[in-house]
This record gives sequence, C-alpha cells and structure tokens, in this order.
Amino acid sequence: MNYWSAIENKLKDHIETAIQLLLIILSVYIFFTAEDHRIWKVPILFLGLISWFFFHKKTKHPIIWILLFLLLIFDLSHSYFWLANHHFMLMFLVLIVISYSYHRQSEVLLKNVQLLLAFVILASVIQKITSSQFMSGNFNYYMINRGTLFGNFLNFFPENHEIAKRNVESFIALNATDPNLHQSIIIKNVNPNVRLISIILVWGTIILESIVAFAILWKPKSTWTHVFFTTMIVGILITRLETGFMALLAICGIFLCRNLKLRLFNVLVVLGCAALIITKYGYH
Amino acid sequence: MNKVTKGAFLKYGIPCLAVILIIIQIILVNTHQLSKWKGGGYGMYTEIHYYYNQIYIPGLTVDSLITNNQDMRATLGRLKLMPNKNNLNKAARLVLKSTERDSVHIQIWKPIVNSQNGEYSRYLVSEIYLKKSEL
Repeated sequence: MNYWSAIENKLKDHIETAIQLLLIILSVYIFFTAEDHRIWKVPILFLGLISWFFFHKKTKHPIIWILLFLLLIFDLSHSYFWLANHHFMLMFLVLIVISYSYHRQSEVLLKNVQLLLAFVILASVIQKITSSQFMSGNFNYYMINRGTLFGNFLNFFPENHEIAKRNVESFIALNATDPNLHQSIIIKNVNPNVRLISIILVWGTIILESIVAFAILWKPKSTWTHVFFTTMIVGILITRLETGFMALLAICGIFLCRNLKLRLFNVLVVLGCAALIITKYGYH
Repeated sequence: MNKVTKGAFLKYGIPCLAVILIIIQIILVNTHQLSKWKGGGYGMYTEIHYYYNQIYIPGLTVDSLITNNQDMRATLGRLKLMPNKNNLNKAARLVLKSTERDSVHIQIWKPIVNSQNGEYSRYLVSEIYLKKSEL
C-alpha cells in the first residue's frame, strides 16, 4: 500500500476531511461536557439518536449535526458566562457545517470559515491590546512564574519547577490572610530572564496574531498565510496545552489551506489534540 | 429573499453573529466588570483568571458558606466572575438570609502583579455593607 498517496487522496478532499475532524472534536467535547445539565440532555440525546439511527440515510437533514448543535445551544443558554471561548467558536463552526449541508456551495462555506477565523483572532488581538496587565508583561510574568505558561518544559528542570511550586504555595498562603492588612509577597523568578521573556512573548503574540488575522482576511488560501497560522498554533501549544481551541483553529486551517503538506500538518495537530484531550493531558 | 440578499446572508450571516457576540462581551467587560476570560470574546490569557479573585467576608469563610449550598456557590462564583455592585448586592442579601447575622460586609479583591519588582499583592475592587433591616 502506498501510504503517501492514500494520505494525499484523503487531503485532496479537504472540506470533507475538515468536517470529519470537526465531528471527532465535537463528539469528544460533547462527551466531556455532557454531565452538565444532564437531566435535560438525556431526552435530547435519546430522541436525536433514535432519529439518526432510523432516518439518517432517508432524510436530507444532517440529523447528527443538528443534535449536537442543540446540545451546544443548551449549554449556551444555561451557562453563557461559564463556557470556554472555544464553545462559541465550535458552535459557529457547527452552524456553518449545518448551513453547508443545505446550500452545498463550497465558496460560501470557505468564506464563512475565513471570516469567522479572522474575527476570532482579531478579537483576541484587541482583547490583548486593551489589557494593561497583558501589555505590561505582568500577566505573562505571573503565569510563567506560577508554572502555567511553559509548564510542560518546567517538568524537565526540577529546580525551576520547585520555584514555581513555591510561588504557588506563597500565593495560597497570602490569600489565606486578611487582604485589608495589605500584605504582599515577592515572586521568585523561575528563570533569571523571565521579565524579558514576558515582554518578548507580549510583542511576539501581538505581532504574530495580527499578521495571521490580516493575512487570513487578505489571502486566506496562501501558503505563507498558513505558515504563519500554523506557527501561531504551534506557538500557543508550546506555551500551554490549549488543545480544544487549537484543534478548532487547525480545522479552519484544513478548510482554507491549499498546500497539502500544511493540510497534513493541521490534520496531525487536530488528531494529536484529540488524543491529548481524550487522555486529559490537554484541555477539552 | 432575492438571490443577492440570500447570497450575502449565507456568506456573512454566521460571521456577523460571531462579531455581535464579541461586541456584547466587550461591552459587558467594560460595563459589568465581566472577566475577559468568559463570554465569548476570546480574551483568555489577557489578565489573571477570575478564579483568583478573592471574596473576603469578615468573620466568615467562603468555604463554609458554599458547602452544601449550591445557590451560594453559584452566587459567589458569579461575583468572582463579574465583581460588580449588582452581584455584590445579591451575594450580601444571600449571605444575610443564610446566616443569623444582623449585618454583613463583603469585599472583592483582585490580585495584582508588578513584574518590575516581582511584587504580588491584592487591591480592593468593590465592597458592600448591608444590614438585615435594609432587606
């Protein structure tokens, strides 16, 4: 068997590939969030599964997508302010797929994905620029020193990991005191250059995300756009295992990108994220 | 619906809906003190997570209040997420109802970091004094 030609054939139908991967990520997400408000979800799931089991080949309606979308909407209506941001993005992507199953126009589907992706990244840039805590580097400084950013790398350096652990213990101890006493603690740096790294991370993030957002608006299918885009995804995954969100971004990459190698890379990112989510190494 | 309108609706409808939710979130962040982390505005990792906001009630611990009290857990959780006057008022009323106290004082504090000198401290966001007689 020629493995590469099998992969190539699969990747050539990028819309179908992206939709299949979206269904995998969506199912995993639904599985992990199903416990919330489960008493109401049981009838929706039960009726949906009955419809899918008996009628999925006899009707033009995308029953399984509609069913899963209803579950997402249900969570949205009950826990609007508690949901992760990628719940919203997932919801819009599912809506795009449902809409596509009726109009069947690939250019409309790709325009939907392009604009959604660009707006999501632009919003992220705006939120960062308008946050004084982020722009000053204070946020990254705090997150690195508590071992939340680059936490997986800290595991390879026991001394630095120990410093982060002690910082967290200090935060907890301080929070146990009366805040009206106005006590404070001095954070210990996990690395002597952590302040510099924090600032580089601020500007690196802002510049890269801005380039990606405008490139997706301007040239959504260009290889260079997707080189920057995949760099951004990998960069985020290096700093923290935001696997749920990154899987959705990579799926958008598969929808939009023309380059087969980059499509393959995005497929690997999605499948890797799925494996990390299922094993609970990553966030769902 | 004519063809042009339908085409535009199909192309821009869903992305526009996404933009509307983002705008709503930004408005809530600026008017209701909603945490940037939530509400569908894609503002995660831009400020310290609201989980680390601290509710301080002199003479009471939050842990003791939320144990076996789902309503209290939800109300105080919402106060951390959106530390505004309205949620502070709701929390104070619920604490007064749930305890035998005549009055309650609730403060909400946020952590603050200064990377120049490495200092981590807390600042007062808002507070309320409420007497049972005012209920």
